[in-house]
Amino acid sequence: MSIEEGAKFVAAAYAVILAVVIAYYALSARRVSALQRDVELLKAEVEKREAAGSGD
Amino acid sequence: MKKLTSAPALFAAAGAFLVTGLLLAFLYAPVDASSMGFSQKIFYYHAPIAETALVAFGIAFVAAILYLRDPDPKWDRLSYVSVRLGLLFSVMVMITGMIWGKAAWDAWWAWEPRLTTFLIVCFLYTAYFVLRQVVEEESRRATYAAVFAIVAFIDVPITFFATRYMPEGLHPVVIRAGDSGMEGSMFLSFMISMAGMTLLLAALVRADVAAARLKDEIDDLKTRIGG
Amino acid sequence: MGSRQFMAILRKDLIRELRTREMLVSMFLFVMLALVIFHYAFGVDEDTDLTSFTGGMLWVTFIFSALLGLNRSFAQEKDEQCLDGLLLCPVDRVTIFFAKMTGNLVFLLIIQAVSVPVFTLFFIERSYLADIGLFILVLLLADLGICTIGTLLATISMNTRARDLLLPIVFLPLIVPVLIAATSATTGIFADGADLGDLAARLGFLAAFDAVFMVAAYGTYDFAIGE
Repeated sequence: MSIEEGAKFVAAAYAVILAVVIAYYALSARRVSALQRDVELLKAEVEKREAAGSGD
Repeated sequence: MKKLTSAPALFAAAGAFLVTGLLLAFLYAPVDASSMGFSQKIFYYHAPIAETALVAFGIAFVAAILYLRDPDPKWDRLSYVSVRLGLLFSVMVMITGMIWGKAAWDAWWAWEPRLTTFLIVCFLYTAYFVLRQVVEEESRRATYAAVFAIVAFIDVPITFFATRYMPEGLHPVVIRAGDSGMEGSMFLSFMISMAGMTLLLAALVRADVAAARLKDEIDDLKTRIGG
Repeated sequence: MGSRQFMAILRKDLIRELRTREMLVSMFLFVMLALVIFHYAFGVDEDTDLTSFTGGMLWVTFIFSALLGLNRSFAQEKDEQCLDGLLLCPVDRVTIFFAKMTGNLVFLLIIQAVSVPVFTLFFIERSYLADIGLFILVLLLADLGICTIGTLLATISMNTRARDLLLPIVFLPLIVPVLIAATSATTGIFADGADLGDLAARLGFLAAFDAVFMVAAYGTYDFAIGE
């Protein structure tokens, strides 16, 4: 196998690694920001309800 | 100290080591003299990924034991996250291993010890997630998962040993799969990449555990609202 | 450790099964049918030599038969709520494990005692009576591994939604090393005969597997069997 052919496989392997890591990171980041948004919303809701409850 | 081990810092460090390792692998280390030739360069990431996967499962193993001794959700989160990352890395081992196999021996698959062991590892830890999914009682889920994480990790070296030393016939056939000794420059590139991969795992664990904690917080808040 | 309790639980399981024989009959029928299927699956030529496959055929059949038995014995427990009743008594959890494991082992051995002669009749040309002692040893050691892992995992999977679907998924990856060792040892015995020297590595491996997982089960069974 010549260096050029070998290089194609090597490039493919490293490309796969890069793609997987980046994809995982991107999906994770997206999930985390959605979660953080949810936490903010839920916390606000909880405070609202507890204020309403104690105000009765 | 907290700043140093925060996820972004770890990612940065991981990136630095990985890029350096990559450069060293291609610019500093020589091309392999054996028949594998240039395709051997895959090894510089492939092997560290494999070892990092095993480290991840080891973390899950320890976290599982800690959970059984003291049922704090943080141990379950760590265990779960580590298994997931270990599985991710294992899949990468399989893919890069198969590409390397095609390049080196012109075969997409070979029943050689490392590929076979990681194949079984993938099935094993996928079962971990199936198990978590089908346990109905929340209180039991983490416990059962911990028991399985412990048993599974014990099985990994045993499986490797079995595939390596007990092929079909009673008389062993020696399989040489790139076990040639490494000279200094190769070794350095390898170690730097290894450090990089481990740091990458640490960064991902950090980030994922934080995300898991967020999710648990949300579930708690939801129950408080739901009443 | 309560050997009286051990005997009581063991006797209960054995008597219950020996009275109805449902599970034993099912396991036996399964093995027989599997052997017939193997014959047709591999080609019915007069000249086909299946000797190198015999170990594999035998152990694949036994492993799936064992899964049948494990599923059944624990499903019964769960349905009739015997286990809950048992847990209310002041029995050491580990005693329950060893009693159940021994019960499963006995059932598996009964099935094997009946199946092996039939298997020999169907598939083995050479007489291996000279090595019968070694063969039985392989059988015992492998069975012990199967029943140890099987009992631990069945206890967990019985408490989940998917029950008998989950057990094979978690069990099979873990049992692969036993399969590898037992198969190569058995094929060796059937094909050319083997003495203790040839089999030493495999027997030692099986024994080590059994020891390691018995310790693991001992440590985790409290958690597996639940509150």
